[in-house]
Amino acid sequence: MIATLGRTLILLALLAASAGALVGFATGARPGAVAGWRWTRRLAYAFAALMVLANLTMEYALLTHDFSVSYVAHVGSRSVPTWVSIVSLWSSLEGSILFWGLVMGIYVAVATFRHRDDHPEYMPYAVGVWLACGAFFSFLLAGPAQPFAAVANPPVDGPGPNPLLQNHYLMVIHPPFLYSGYVGMTIPFGLACAALLVGRLGHDFIRPLRNFLLLSWIFLTVAIVLGGWWAYEVLGWGGYWAWDPVENASFLPWLTATAALHSALLVERKGVLKGWTTTLVIATYLLTILGTFMTRSGVFNSVHSFTQSAIGPTILVFLAAALIFSVVLLTLRVDTLSAEGRLETGASRDIAFLVQNLLFVLFTFTVLLGTVFPLVVEAVRGVQMSVGRPYFDRMSVPIGVALLFLMGVGPALPWGRAGREQLRSALLPPVVSAALLTILGVVLGVRNAWTLLALAFGGFTAHVTVGELLLPVRQRMRAHGEGALEAFRQAQGRGRRRFGAYIVHAGAVVVIAAVAVSSTMGSSKEVQLARGETATIGGYTLTFVNAERIREPHRESVRARMEIRKNGHEAGWLYPRMNQYENQREPIGSPAVRTGLAEDLYVSIHNIDVEAGSVGLLILINPMVCWIWIATAVMALGGLVTLIPSARGAAAAARVEASTAPLSIEGSS
Amino acid sequence: MPTAASSEAAPPRSSRINKRVLVAGAAIVLPLIAVLVANLGRDPHMVRSPLVGRPAPPFSLQPVGGGAPVRLESFRGKPLVINFWATWCVPCFEEHPALTAAARGLPDVQFLGVVYEDEEARTQAFLKERSSAYPSVMDPDGRTAIAYGVFGVPETFFIDAEGRIVEKFVGPLQRSTIAELVARARGGRP
Repeated sequence: MIATLGRTLILLALLAASAGALVGFATGARPGAVAGWRWTRRLAYAFAALMVLANLTMEYALLTHDFSVSYVAHVGSRSVPTWVSIVSLWSSLEGSILFWGLVMGIYVAVATFRHRDDHPEYMPYAVGVWLACGAFFSFLLAGPAQPFAAVANPPVDGPGPNPLLQNHYLMVIHPPFLYSGYVGMTIPFGLACAALLVGRLGHDFIRPLRNFLLLSWIFLTVAIVLGGWWAYEVLGWGGYWAWDPVENASFLPWLTATAALHSALLVERKGVLKGWTTTLVIATYLLTILGTFMTRSGVFNSVHSFTQSAIGPTILVFLAAALIFSVVLLTLRVDTLSAEGRLETGASRDIAFLVQNLLFVLFTFTVLLGTVFPLVVEAVRGVQMSVGRPYFDRMSVPIGVALLFLMGVGPALPWGRAGREQLRSALLPPVVSAALLTILGVVLGVRNAWTLLALAFGGFTAHVTVGELLLPVRQRMRAHGEGALEAFRQAQGRGRRRFGAYIVHAGAVVVIAAVAVSSTMGSSKEVQLARGETATIGGYTLTFVNAERIREPHRESVRARMEIRKNGHEAGWLYPRMNQYENQREPIGSPAVRTGLAEDLYVSIHNIDVEAGSVGLLILINPMVCWIWIATAVMALGGLVTLIPSARGAAAAARVEASTAPLSIEGSS
Repeated sequence: MPTAASSEAAPPRSSRINKRVLVAGAAIVLPLIAVLVANLGRDPHMVRSPLVGRPAPPFSLQPVGGGAPVRLESFRGKPLVINFWATWCVPCFEEHPALTAAARGLPDVQFLGVVYEDEEARTQAFLKERSSAYPSVMDPDGRTAIAYGVFGVPETFFIDAEGRIVEKFVGPLQRSTIAELVARARGGRP
């Protein structure tokens, strides 16, 4: 019954999306077709509504434990708490594709509604592209994935979702962020395709493109770091990033999206790099589909895959079609996006932008190569191998440090060619901060050359970034005689995009510095302790008091009670544990982390024996890790600030005022 | 599908083919598709277990419902299919009819179910309800599953007449796959 309802909704969504795509393209080809555009919009809203209903239907089935629906039979269980039943929607393959459809529907509806009256030339094409992508995912749900397949002989109870999902709340919120980032890239992709199809990428149209790109970028940034945080808090090996194919799958589109956000600025300001920017936006979307294929086809980590084999090939067909479509579209149409200005050569902000873009693309190829290389070897020589962390670390550290450097030098340089005197006054003062931070690093014991270089460039960039953040405030204080707070309020209200962008930069500096320090300055120890024994590491004393059993409704745990003393003072308790879930064979470890601003104390269990009273532990001291999470939040916040419409752009009157005011601060940079 | 749009892309305005974009795009895209297709060709369920080609680990297990222990050695001389399964595993009852039919249709091949992490009473009820054409044995503490390196159910091992593991399959089986893998356990003879 529920299964039939769900399947019907999916088929209707497929119908709406396919029809909407066709009507959208037909309308785009005949500009001014009002009825066509109206129908394109209606079908887009219908697609969204049907996806929402299909997801609600699945939630209903999950909550009522309707095991006649195949997805519920796969992941449902009567023994799990209600919240686990709710989030089971995205805990497994078929459900996550359904959830993907939900996110897509919402994005398409919001973007269509927001631009229902503007850009009449572009929008039918854009909605057509979105709905074509939507049609594919509906097809995936109707055919190969089938979360609503009927189970002929429904079981009495199901196995429950992957225990990793139940083990930590981060695993619950990570997927929605990731999908919001991934799926959101469909919107700029559609807009970029529309620009190519129309043959123009104007000043006005780059804005919606940039805004949706930025929104998805914020989600993706948070999702990547949440994934790292989850790995850190749950997996127990003490790190947050392992260059695993699944991690790379989310990192690749982030790299191209970041590059596109910067080159979009040059499109907006100077009317250059239009073809390049559309290429980056299109590449970003294609990389999200590649990532979807990588994580869902079973090709990349075959041992863990219980995938229905039809899903992988179907995504691959779509990926190939999208790749070929994009190359053909770019080949035929990229020359129609003619530049209106030109890039300055020599030491200028323009060139910094260009080099930054090239570095991001280089980074993308580096990671892509490392991720795909094992597949090449497997296909050619039939040998299973993996590209380890050394390759990725060796390649990414220099690129990351160079990007950090550019993040400081770029904003310090003026637009257009800079004179010698200008260069000196722009670049010399930040060197002081660079030197200070480097010296501080040396004093605190940093010896790794790359880490010191990261600190030096971090100091330089932080100086420039803070300077740029405060510059308009200082100018206002001087020109208008305003107090610091009022000047700050006014300045950020007027140049909000610029303000937000520098907040993002400030966060990024801290993230890179924290990654550099935490990956080179930590220490670790493995110990085997009997009851009452202690271990010491870097000023901490850990005493194993005893091992305890805990019973909860859906799991049984064994935990070690550890008393922590820091430099002789009491510093609380830590409880690393092993959780055993019902219906699951292997226990799952949960490390205990004492988070601090300077360093984390990280304890995870290797083995534990309650009866004998012994425990094997991995103990790590991870400096500055906490700053990665904090600074990512700052980056996301900066991105959101940038998205809020600037007070200046809100009304034409404001523009007049800005041109007459003695200080004309750029609304963007 | 987006390919439908390429015909729409036929431009009314100035348009010429940008050869550089075409060459660069093709140079990146075609090898990528080729590599992914090549890897998709192999079935990820055909896991290369280190046990393949080695003698199957011996066991002596109690049949479901009681009786004399079933030992691996007693099956020497004909191909053996060992299927690890459980009543709580949905793919397991998806493949149950295929396995039962295969066991009925291939009388010269021995089929054996090893019950993974489950209760004997539930297993007995399951088999009574759905019938079976071959014995199932209980695996207390999953010792045999560990010996065979089982990740999760269902997993199926194909063993030849000399007691060597020829093939390991992860996930639900279909009739055609069973026939193909049994043929390999027979040493290529259909």
